[in-house]
Amino acid sequence: MLDLKNVSVKYGNFTAIKDINIRVDKGEIVVLLGANGAGKSTTFRTISGLKTPFKGNVLLEDDLIDNKPPDKIVKQGIVQCAEDRKLFPEMSVQENMMMGAYIHRKKKNKIKQTLKEVYKLFPVLYEKRKNPAGSLSGGQQQMLAIGRALMSKPKLMLLDEPSIGLAPLIVEQMFESIKQINKEGTTILLAEQNAHAALSIADKGYVYENGNIVVEGSSKELFANEEVRKAYIGA
Amino acid sequence: MDVLLQQLFNGLTIGSVYSLVALGLTLVYGILHIPNFAHGALYMVGAYITYTIMTSLGLHYLLSILTSIIAVGMISVLMERLVFHPLKDSTPIQHKVAAIGMLLFLESFAQLIWGADYQQMETPFGQVIDFFGLTVTMQRLIIVITAVVAMILLYLFLKKTFTGATIIAMAQNREGAHLVGINTNKVAMLTFFISGVLAALGASLTSPINLVFPSMGHLVILKAFVIIIIGGMGSIPGAILGGYIIGFSESIGATYISSDYSDIISFALLVIILTIKPQGIFSKGGV
Repeated sequence: MLDLKNVSVKYGNFTAIKDINIRVDKGEIVVLLGANGAGKSTTFRTISGLKTPFKGNVLLEDDLIDNKPPDKIVKQGIVQCAEDRKLFPEMSVQENMMMGAYIHRKKKNKIKQTLKEVYKLFPVLYEKRKNPAGSLSGGQQQMLAIGRALMSKPKLMLLDEPSIGLAPLIVEQMFESIKQINKEGTTILLAEQNAHAALSIADKGYVYENGNIVVEGSSKELFANEEVRKAYIGA
Repeated sequence: MDVLLQQLFNGLTIGSVYSLVALGLTLVYGILHIPNFAHGALYMVGAYITYTIMTSLGLHYLLSILTSIIAVGMISVLMERLVFHPLKDSTPIQHKVAAIGMLLFLESFAQLIWGADYQQMETPFGQVIDFFGLTVTMQRLIIVITAVVAMILLYLFLKKTFTGATIIAMAQNREGAHLVGINTNKVAMLTFFISGVLAALGASLTSPINLVFPSMGHLVILKAFVIIIIGGMGSIPGAILGGYIIGFSESIGATYISSDYSDIISFALLVIILTIKPQGIFSKGGV
């Protein structure tokens, strides 16, 4: 479904990611592991069209997307929940959700249906639908970011560190929800530092180090890999 | 008592114009994240275009306003495309320099075409009418009604339509807007268009009771800055409320203190309000 082929991205003279190859198949959950600054978010920004690769190609279902603007990429079915959520803080929860459905703005009935589905997945968002997004707790804001992304009915969802800054119990719920979203038909590419939780729901993973992918394999293989265990799982 | 009511109505008139100008400024602030210094020049150009269409083509005042607001809306969009868009990855100081450059350019341009003389704009609504016991000119009544209608329409557009909401969304989080699939170029152009329309509307409405000249935008834009600082940068209710606060205090101040000081009042208010509430009145509220 999604292919990154030898993608390199630069910020000025600094090469943030180098010759990255990633493949995500339909229906999978794929996880990107690695420390802060290893290049996971840059990879996401490149897929979303916020950054143009210096070298290499990004393909969605064999269609080149690396030179398309961000709004076109959303229209093609890739949506991103960024690490800092990028909500509209002074808009209400419901208004944020509605903006998530921007690309479907002409299909009012479909939007209503999707809204219902998302509220069913995150009932707390329904309770808080009239509150400004900025007033929600961290966990609720993360749910809203995911909910807003779901409103565009994506084929592929990019989730950048959804567990960051959340309490352990909330993290567990978050991963349950991600599994649920995947089961309902959305392919997921997930960046995480919480390797244990991420690998337990993922099909396969890539490990980043200093802008390179150093290890890749199925979740089982990564769990079994001694170095990965030491560096990211801690057991 | 009569004097007070009369002055309150005058305040409502001036406040309506200030609010229109400040609204455009605050909307564009959401896109540029700097105050657009050239906004006052758009205001001035709006007045001149209305004036020229009336005098040279002989069109009706209202029809001339309509033409003028569309023309200035287009000029504003052109300014975004040709000046601010190419600078989108540069620092705020470069935006500010560009905005001041546009201001100087438009003013010199106006002086070249229309000369430096003061012009008087005629209005077909000069008649004096009795309005709930107040003696007012029809023109002032039209200013208030048109401004309020324009503000209500703008509010409904921003709150009730997807397209309008994109303006708010982009102001609150530009990358967030990208990530939900909003074409931010289109939003920027739309915002500049609306801002130009509001400036030209304000100028054309108020010109028959003031005068038209190349630097007519200076004081108005300074006050619009005061208004959006008082109301909270980027806040829409803040711009409206701030406009009326300044309008009322000026007209009341002119009567009970001295008309010589009416322009100082808004700046004194700025100092007082910012001392009490440094973030502005609506800093956290938004729309």
